[in-house]
Amino acid sequence: MIFNTFSYYLLFLVPAAVLYRVVARGLRPWVIVLFGSGFFLYFAYGMAGLWGAACLLIFLWESLVSRLYKPGSRWCLLGLVQSVVLLGIFKYWNFFTGLVFVHGANPLRWQGAFLPLGISFFTFEFYHFAWDRRAGRTEAGTLGEYLAFILFFPTMVAGPIKRYQDFLPKLRQEPTEWNSDWERGITRILTGLVKKFAVADLLTAWTDHLNAHDVMLAQRPVLLLWGFAYGLKIYADFSGYSDIAIGSARLFGIRVPENFDWPYGRRNIQRFWQCWHISLTRWLTDYVYIPLGGSRVSVPRIYANIIAVMLVSGLWHGAGLNFLVWGGWHGLLLAGHRLWRQLRGEASTHPAAVFSSRVLTFILANAAWPFFCMDLHTVMLFYRRLLLG
Amino acid sequence: MLTGFRAGIEYLCGERDDAPALFASRWAWLARCAVWTLAIVLIYAFSGQSSKFIYIDF
Repeated sequence: MIFNTFSYYLLFLVPAAVLYRVVARGLRPWVIVLFGSGFFLYFAYGMAGLWGAACLLIFLWESLVSRLYKPGSRWCLLGLVQSVVLLGIFKYWNFFTGLVFVHGANPLRWQGAFLPLGISFFTFEFYHFAWDRRAGRTEAGTLGEYLAFILFFPTMVAGPIKRYQDFLPKLRQEPTEWNSDWERGITRILTGLVKKFAVADLLTAWTDHLNAHDVMLAQRPVLLLWGFAYGLKIYADFSGYSDIAIGSARLFGIRVPENFDWPYGRRNIQRFWQCWHISLTRWLTDYVYIPLGGSRVSVPRIYANIIAVMLVSGLWHGAGLNFLVWGGWHGLLLAGHRLWRQLRGEASTHPAAVFSSRVLTFILANAAWPFFCMDLHTVMLFYRRLLLG
Repeated sequence: MLTGFRAGIEYLCGERDDAPALFASRWAWLARCAVWTLAIVLIYAFSGQSSKFIYIDF
């Protein structure tokens, strides 16, 4: 729950933002560290018990190791490896060992597996810092500043994914527009809550039917309705979440990256991804696509890179074959769009062409959501019923 | 026209700092108050059925 609970606002956000305002500048990072640690312990304990709360040690360990990072240093490589290994163990252990023992019981199965709160997102920030520090693109800052970066609780659990070199100047600057920051921040939080309560949660009445039993019984137009309802729900849910995170950060006078920019109105799938979960798209571009060679390699490699990045994106969203197919679908769409543009040149600006391309992009992006919310078997059933009756 | 509409929506939702021409008058605070009131009413009206945010589990 978190952002839609009173405890988030009463125990953490408002006290932390007020204290941040009144203490001396040197103490501000430690206010974030104090409340960020409390936030993690409170909500992680609620979700995964003592072991979940104990994962706060991951932050402390990472912050200590990060003090060894220097441009060109091998310690940065250790930081990269430990970020990936931590995510791999907690999120993918049962998935990958399950693939190895696909024909029988999995003797390596971790029975008590749990996901530490926000691991998919804080891993990205750990990885980014180690990478950029090695490349000399960011300074080390103090221990307090780095801890404030990774424990900044408005963005800790589900982003937007920050960059240290962007965050640090905002942490160090003297906020001068408190009234405006609070007015804009509260407005943004209210907008996010409206999206969540009045749109996303309302659509749950339809999207809850996306299960094997109901899919089997539903008529084709109803399946179509449920499918599009999920597309709207996930937009309202996640953009609402991002609104609350961005608005909360604003109460500290800190601006964090935007995550959405009207993605459903875009003309092609490339523009869609530039406007949907923007901070993730940028992270994948900088830390996966460009290291793979980006667009500076042979043409077949460019297409392979695009598809590889979207497969990584799919797998990052969830340890399941359905997420892998979701990523693959978007990878193929992006590759197909690139090929189309190379063959046909610039897109037409005729109003009919613009309108139809927006509609087509909306349909193609929404066609992938069933893979996001159902297992592969149920999605196959969904599409078989939808297309063949 | 669509650009102006979009700028107005973004301003009222807190996404944009600079007020578009329509909201630059001295009565713009009324529109902002109306947005807060509407938002609070909607939140109150729908708050009984909330579920976990989807991305919390990722």
